[in-house]
Amino acid sequence: MIGFAAVATAAEATSQEHEALFESRVRPLLAAKCQSCHGDKVAEAGLRLDSRRSLLTGSDSGPVLVPGEAATSKLLLAVRQTGDLAMPPDEKLSPEEIATLETWVTAGAPWSGPGGDDDASPPTPAATMDERLATSLKNHWAFTPPGRHPAPDLPAAFDPSLKGAWSAATIDRFVGARLADAQLQPSPEATARDLFRRLSFDLTGLPPSADEADAFCAAAAGGPAATDAAFRVAVDRLLASREHAEHWGRKWLDLARYADTMGYVIGDADNRYPFAWTYRDWVIDALQRDLPYDRFVTLQLAADRIEPPVPRSDLAALGFLTVGRTFLGNAHDIIDDRIDLVTRGLLGLTVACARCHDHKYEPVTAADYYALHGIFASCAIPKELPIVGDSPPGPEAEAFTAKLAELEAAVTTHETAVYARAIREAVAHAADYFFETARPTPRAADNRLPALADGYELEQFLLDPLKELLDKAEPSHPILGAWAAARGTPDTEVVAVLTAVRNAWGQSPDPAVVNPLVLQELLSAQPTTLRQLAEAYARLVARVAPEAAGGPAAQAEEPAELAALRALVGAEGTPLVVARGRAMKVATRDERAERQKRKKAVAAHRNEAAGSPLRAMVLLDNSPVDSHVFLRGNPGKPGEKVERRLPKLLGGAAVARDSSGRLDLARAIVAPTNPLAPRMIVNWAWTHHMGRGLVDTPGDLGLRGELPTHPHLLDDLARRFVDEGQWSLRWLHREIVTSRVWRQSSVIRDDLADRDPDNRLFGRANRRRLDWEAWRDSMLAAAGTLDLAHRGGRGIDPLAEAAMNTRSVYGRLDRQNVPGILRIFDIANPDTAVHVRTKTTVPQQSLAVLNAPLVVAAARQVATRVDHEIGDTSKNDVRIVALWRAVLARSPSGDEQAAAATWLAEETPRDESDQATFTRWDRLAQALLATAEFQFVD
Amino acid sequence: MTWNNHPLPLSRREALVRTGMGLGWLGAASLLQPESASAASVAATAMAPRPPHFPARARAVIHIFANGGPSHLDTFDRKVSLEQYAGREIPNKLATERQTGAALPSPFAFARHGESGLEVSELFPHVARHADRLLVVRSMHADVPNHEPSLMLMNCGDPRLVRPSAGAWVTYGLGTENQNLPGFVAMCPGGYPIKDTENWRNAFLPGAYQGTYIDTKKTRVEDLVEYVRHPVLDRDTQRRQLDLTATLDRRHLEARQHDPQLEARLASMELAWRMQSEATEAFDVSREPQHVLDRYGDDVQGRQMLIARRLVERGVRYVQLWHGAGQPWDSHEHIEKNHRQLAGECDRAIGALLDDLVGLGLLDTTLVLWGGEFGRTPTVELPTAGTDVKEPSGRDHNHHGFTVWMAGGGVKAGTVYGATDELGFKAVEKPVHVHDLQATMLHLLGLDHTKLTYRHSGRDFRLTDVHGRVITDWLA
Repeated sequence: MIGFAAVATAAEATSQEHEALFESRVRPLLAAKCQSCHGDKVAEAGLRLDSRRSLLTGSDSGPVLVPGEAATSKLLLAVRQTGDLAMPPDEKLSPEEIATLETWVTAGAPWSGPGGDDDASPPTPAATMDERLATSLKNHWAFTPPGRHPAPDLPAAFDPSLKGAWSAATIDRFVGARLADAQLQPSPEATARDLFRRLSFDLTGLPPSADEADAFCAAAAGGPAATDAAFRVAVDRLLASREHAEHWGRKWLDLARYADTMGYVIGDADNRYPFAWTYRDWVIDALQRDLPYDRFVTLQLAADRIEPPVPRSDLAALGFLTVGRTFLGNAHDIIDDRIDLVTRGLLGLTVACARCHDHKYEPVTAADYYALHGIFASCAIPKELPIVGDSPPGPEAEAFTAKLAELEAAVTTHETAVYARAIREAVAHAADYFFETARPTPRAADNRLPALADGYELEQFLLDPLKELLDKAEPSHPILGAWAAARGTPDTEVVAVLTAVRNAWGQSPDPAVVNPLVLQELLSAQPTTLRQLAEAYARLVARVAPEAAGGPAAQAEEPAELAALRALVGAEGTPLVVARGRAMKVATRDERAERQKRKKAVAAHRNEAAGSPLRAMVLLDNSPVDSHVFLRGNPGKPGEKVERRLPKLLGGAAVARDSSGRLDLARAIVAPTNPLAPRMIVNWAWTHHMGRGLVDTPGDLGLRGELPTHPHLLDDLARRFVDEGQWSLRWLHREIVTSRVWRQSSVIRDDLADRDPDNRLFGRANRRRLDWEAWRDSMLAAAGTLDLAHRGGRGIDPLAEAAMNTRSVYGRLDRQNVPGILRIFDIANPDTAVHVRTKTTVPQQSLAVLNAPLVVAAARQVATRVDHEIGDTSKNDVRIVALWRAVLARSPSGDEQAAAATWLAEETPRDESDQATFTRWDRLAQALLATAEFQFVD
Repeated sequence: MTWNNHPLPLSRREALVRTGMGLGWLGAASLLQPESASAASVAATAMAPRPPHFPARARAVIHIFANGGPSHLDTFDRKVSLEQYAGREIPNKLATERQTGAALPSPFAFARHGESGLEVSELFPHVARHADRLLVVRSMHADVPNHEPSLMLMNCGDPRLVRPSAGAWVTYGLGTENQNLPGFVAMCPGGYPIKDTENWRNAFLPGAYQGTYIDTKKTRVEDLVEYVRHPVLDRDTQRRQLDLTATLDRRHLEARQHDPQLEARLASMELAWRMQSEATEAFDVSREPQHVLDRYGDDVQGRQMLIARRLVERGVRYVQLWHGAGQPWDSHEHIEKNHRQLAGECDRAIGALLDDLVGLGLLDTTLVLWGGEFGRTPTVELPTAGTDVKEPSGRDHNHHGFTVWMAGGGVKAGTVYGATDELGFKAVEKPVHVHDLQATMLHLLGLDHTKLTYRHSGRDFRLTDVHGRVITDWLA
């Protein structure tokens, strides 16, 4: 070998060096930094960097490499990141790595071994999006239609005491068999009191009253069959209640990223959505009607497109699309938000990633994204939202109408005053305007007209048309002739020019040659400068100016010369007499601000006053357009145009050409063949009932989401939801909560803690902390302030003591300024579709429990309520029992009673001191509101 | 620096789904709470301290946000050439938000300071005392010349979309060392900066990571910190009330065997109790001796710098101080008067803060960052129609090039990095994008910006999105 090397030619030596360079430095670099996006799996922009041939062929936009030309090769431009194209996108290559590529390209991009020019084996083609789609449609569980599955029988080893009960419902058999497979037993049924409390919170978000709970427990004392019967009665009663619709409506509002404001706006502009709440009320109403889910979704996407037309109250459903953030009006961000809402929200599929490039792992292309983009780009929110309901007739509605007329009149009055002021001043400064057209004043850098001695600033808006009129007038013009002749001459020659004009007119001029009024004015004024001539014309203007500008009253019949003058410079719409409708163009800043103020008052009244009609936050079709793919998501770089259609994953069918296609989109989402929508909603409901999903990523059923723990159960339930349940959410809730799985105890047995710590197999119920709404509502219920008849309408401030009669779902939420206490208790982020809230435990939560004015106010009310209910407050033990029942819906145990009595005795002296404004009974009430029992559901 | 391993902020299950943290991170956490994690529950508090990806240089951040856009040309980036062009058009004028005209030399005198000879204008004499501790980055650049997107970029890493703020990311990644205080505090006297609470939002991260807003214009502690005190009860009475609750809770827990969720809740009640006194103490600057108060200055900037020091001393992870509501440093007009006033308000307090961090030995592990969302133009802004300004006297926004400085936290001291062009318009030498600044900040905190991720909407998000590079030249 040594011998060979010694005699190797220079060329061979170079070749060896090239090979070393390529194999040791270039190939590893391409593999590590480039080929994940430009290789055999994915070929972004059509570019592959895994063979010399494909480098030379280049990308969709041409070759990326010219051997020997490092300076111009696109590959190098991209990695140097000096221009628009910057690669790799996540982290720039090091200077050494860039230098390596330069050396390599300069050397002619030598490529040895696989992928080189001598490599006979053709490169494996990159999987096209179509192939990826086909593969995942076949292989990914969530992309195949859910089918029925026979529920397995429970094995012999199943706990015999539970086997009977667990053998009936399909849900129980699926879950039970799976537990048995893992050699685990389910948990026994929760105690009657726990069960009833859980049911109440789960279905309505409210605690039961102590009396209701006692009644259930009494019924359940009759044995399992009696319990079951009482339980089913309770389920049906609660499912039909308005409180149920409110509680589950709030969960849907999380998914709809509901809020009452549009987010950040510039300056002090109003960012409120005055009618977002009509959508919120529609959702609650729809759930109470048990509107089938397919209809529920269709209305929210396309209520305006359905034939025959839906009742106008259903237009409020479209708020689903429009209550999102407005991103300072950026249309593409708004559309992106809607695409994400519809795809991830309703399908559990992440499509929004395809805004910048074909999806990295889901079978979703940028073309899919921009096909949806076109659908939403073809829609707009109308300037005036449609009225979908009247407030009931009566004094409120009448007062609204009267006040509206008054406020609108105030706008008109102001506009009229501005109009009069503007033309009066313009006419008064007519000479300055005339003069300015001929002898313009030098402008400052900002091009603004200088102010006159009296403070008036000439208006460009008036000057321009006047200049146009005067400049195009010929010296033969019967009115403007003198001006036309003199406007270009220096003052020293004005007299001569005007004399010549006068001479040309002759001794008794024909009115057709010179308007007699002009002649008369010039003869009397005898102007000697252009300024004086301008003043003469200004007097002519004043003779025909409108009354509002201080001109003479109009006459019914006026001489022809006056009429001609009026038509030229005095009538509305002539240069200095701006048309009434355009008066605001020449308004001062203060005048504009005043008008804005008055218009705002009109809008505020329309939107907020009691008695105003209700409006829907609709999205309506505009003229249909198709969108271009934006390369790397950049609207400045449009690529190919894509026709509006469904994503390929949903079949890719074209949507209607004569409309936006929202209705087609809606129908495709709830089509019986769509595998995603029913799985999403069934898993969503399961997640909220059980505290954990069958798929643990309820918003992501795609390739990167979690796999279902019970795939057959999920599919079977999804299938039955559509076929048996006919998309009824109430059916679905009933299926789940009447299951034995749901009814289990939440006690964490040692074997379950050891072997299934995350409770993936549902061998017990999950203990849960109340969310913000249920926690607040529970306090109001305990305080006795909650008025369940007080519901709907404009949002309340959930932290205000005055709103302690109203459930939290009716709270007004400013997405720009979410109160800290709501954040701390993990409310859903109102900027994105949330399927399930994150849950945290932070001490700030406990700080709120200890000190928040809301809790303190509730504690006082609890004590007051209890005293009121028992009447006679002389017996401590009676008061203690009543407090317990008000707050915890049960009577205290003996030792609890004793502990409270002892505590009260010790506290008595304190009430003589400065703590008296929050008595020991108030304090005891707060101590109970602060317990874990109050805040957690077993 | 070493920290104990601590449990995850989310349930183990959620952590597996959400975080891109390495197996080591998860593994360590799992060891500590192997069998007890109950399914739908949270194992520990979201703010428990967690180890970084690699040994950290800094453990806390103080970000002094000169919101509105301070002029680099009048503070830390002297341009002699501007004087040659005074009143004349410059050759390389770039587009900014508004029309600008001729070159506007700085009206302020510059001098060299310290051994490093750093040039600082007369606006910041107290900061200048620390010249040899500063890393001045003169080659920052952002994307657009408007406040809103630039604030979002600087704070949340994206100019428009709803993304978590840097402070939220950092507390998500590291937790915080003092459980009795919020981990991320955003102070702004008199109201919000523009973009409001978006500047310190948690976005899709759990709510616990949102910055806690403090209006430092207020002076009473109970007005500063929400729910820090019971509206009526004194401490002793409340303690006895809490004791009763605790008695009932223990009974409740015993009946339910071991449930980490309930245990965590009980512990958090005691934490909240301690928080009341500790937070009250931390935010109460009146406990400082008079000579300290004098050094900071008896005004709102002095007060909030002092609070910042007290918080970092007590283990708060991330403190952001805004100069004021709106965009105070936005000197489109009368820059001489306005910048003089603004710097006058904060310079003394910043100097005192740096003095104290040095004195307490905290500067080594505390990264202090000063800057705005962008800088200002070397050319004078032309008055626009409709304003009352007649004389050009200010500078427009400039995202092409601007300056930030850092001190402590393991950055190279007494150093200038990068440069703008001859007239200070554009970063030309070693340009640093905001993403690079963020990547490097995370690096100083021991976090790999490409690995600090959160799964949301089917995608792993991070502060720097797909951008950012760590600037190793800044590391001491």
